[in-house]
Amino acid sequence: MSIIKTEKLEKTYSDNGVPVHALRGIDIEIKKGEYLVIAGPSGSGKTTLLNVLGALDKPSVGSVFFEDKNLADLSKSELSDFRLKNLGFIFQAYNLIPVLTALENIEFSMMLLGISEKERHRRAKDLLKELGIEELADKRPNEMSGGQQQRVAVARAIVNNPTVVLADEPTANLDSKTGGALLDLMEKMNREKNITFIFSSHDKQVIDRAKRLLILKDGKISENE
Amino acid sequence: MLAMLAWRNIWRNSRRSMIVLGSVVVGVVALIFMDSFMNGFVMQMLFNQIKLNVSHIQIHKEGFRDNKVVQNYIPDQKKVETVLDNFPEIQNYTKRVITFGLLSSARNSSGVYIYGVNPETEVKVSNIHKQIIEGDYLSGNGREILIGKKLAEKLEVGVGDKVVAMSNTPDGSIGSDVFRVTGIFQTVNSEFDKSNIIIPIERAQSMLEVGNKVYEFAMMINDYNKADEIAARIQNKLERNYEVQSYTKILPLLVLQMDMYKEFAYVLNFIIGLALIFGIINAMLMAVFERIREFGVLMSIGMKNYKLFLMIIFEAMFLGVIGTLVGFIIGLAIVYPLSHTGIDMSIFADSLESFGIGSIIYPRLIIGNLLNTLLTIPFITLIGAVYPAFKATRLQPVYAIRYV
Repeated sequence: MSIIKTEKLEKTYSDNGVPVHALRGIDIEIKKGEYLVIAGPSGSGKTTLLNVLGALDKPSVGSVFFEDKNLADLSKSELSDFRLKNLGFIFQAYNLIPVLTALENIEFSMMLLGISEKERHRRAKDLLKELGIEELADKRPNEMSGGQQQRVAVARAIVNNPTVVLADEPTANLDSKTGGALLDLMEKMNREKNITFIFSSHDKQVIDRAKRLLILKDGKISENE
Repeated sequence: MLAMLAWRNIWRNSRRSMIVLGSVVVGVVALIFMDSFMNGFVMQMLFNQIKLNVSHIQIHKEGFRDNKVVQNYIPDQKKVETVLDNFPEIQNYTKRVITFGLLSSARNSSGVYIYGVNPETEVKVSNIHKQIIEGDYLSGNGREILIGKKLAEKLEVGVGDKVVAMSNTPDGSIGSDVFRVTGIFQTVNSEFDKSNIIIPIERAQSMLEVGNKVYEFAMMINDYNKADEIAARIQNKLERNYEVQSYTKILPLLVLQMDMYKEFAYVLNFIIGLALIFGIINAMLMAVFERIREFGVLMSIGMKNYKLFLMIIFEAMFLGVIGTLVGFIIGLAIVYPLSHTGIDMSIFADSLESFGIGSIIYPRLIIGNLLNTLLTIPFITLIGAVYPAFKATRLQPVYAIRYV
């Protein structure tokens, strides 16, 4: 059963009045539990596709269906709810909230869901333990290394049990060893929790581990294997 | 957690937050100081007049205030006394003879208002006895006279010197009497000092040949705010040929000035509020612009716009509340002692005395106004944060997360 489906997806930006066709007719289906990497050269439309799939951006033409629900039918507020309940995000620059500790960063998205303080505290602690980063609980982002921050970002992304986690160049700022460890972690989450992972990356390490690879070129799918 | 996040956010850039806090503190201190100073100024002017000779309520024969002739005496003193004795709100009252006349010394003469007073009851209504700078207050015996310092200077007389007072009697002839200066007073109102003399009531009645007639009942009540209401009730008990007036009717210009001050206080609040609002908008906009990427992340992970809006409002609220409380404490610490010791404005003494204020201004803290400041300033900071918060909610997450 497909969890995400796109139909004739197109995205055109205006760059100083000049139209830029970032996506040109993308049709894909992603099944639950997939471990998919979107690869391609810079400017091929990887991040744009990830943003559209993550309901952060709207397509110019075409539709994105999430469990048969057309995202175009959702209001701004419903889209926020949708992202909160169904999606997790991992960014290249980690993007943890600097004034919150690791534990609080993880709790934050649960707080947005209205989970009680006691429950979110318990869940965040359990997750930190599961990811082997318990010792980071009380540290703020500026007290952590890049790898540690990205592990906390993974924890933040999966703490609400999302159906899909979208990771935009998650290893780009990490050395290969740290990146590898992070990928191990995400593979484990994919395997054990059946969370769908969609990566946008041109990191060979990420591409090599892909169970499904989607290569974009000039806004079109050139390979889907 | 949103509040906690907001709290921590304001200390991310502590220097900027301290500048915002500083502006709120300065605004609150300025507001408290200016408000209490202006209140003290106006109220001092009013209370000085009340305690000098106006009192809270006066009763005259109808028309006396427009035409202070000796024929306009109180028609039935006993009746007035009976009415006043039945008002528990009246603390004290005194009877006065008031007329216009001429006071002459061996060297000079001057037109004056002649006040004939009962020395014993007068001190319960007026504080003129506290303003004697030379000599003594009236004992009630003999040909005593109190004159103002300015008048004494004009007439070139001192304590113990003789002066002659003259005025019209009811039959049109001139009544006169010789007095010996018992005391010289200096009030905060130099105009009063130039043109008023005070003599025992019996001596005034005898000089004017009006028997035991009096021209004014002046009284103090237990709550000056109720002067209008009590004056109206007294008026109801007396016939229409009596005129019962509270200080608000006797000093309309002063009351107008007080009303004007209230308007001015709003303008002052508005100006300080406006300055604060722009400061807050500026600071909060900076705080928003330097966190665009972070807001993009928050929106991406599912934070709704209203929560983002609230978070920024919380930040402004914390700054507003802390700044107001600190400003309030500092403001009180400055103004409260000054409300007892007063602010020496001697360099403006001449002009202040012509206003009837005195050279020491005692700032007056009014609880209602303080509460108003306590509520208004944090509210103003909230208003100042609305636009930046609104701007934040208009961000598109997809652009915000890429913002550098």
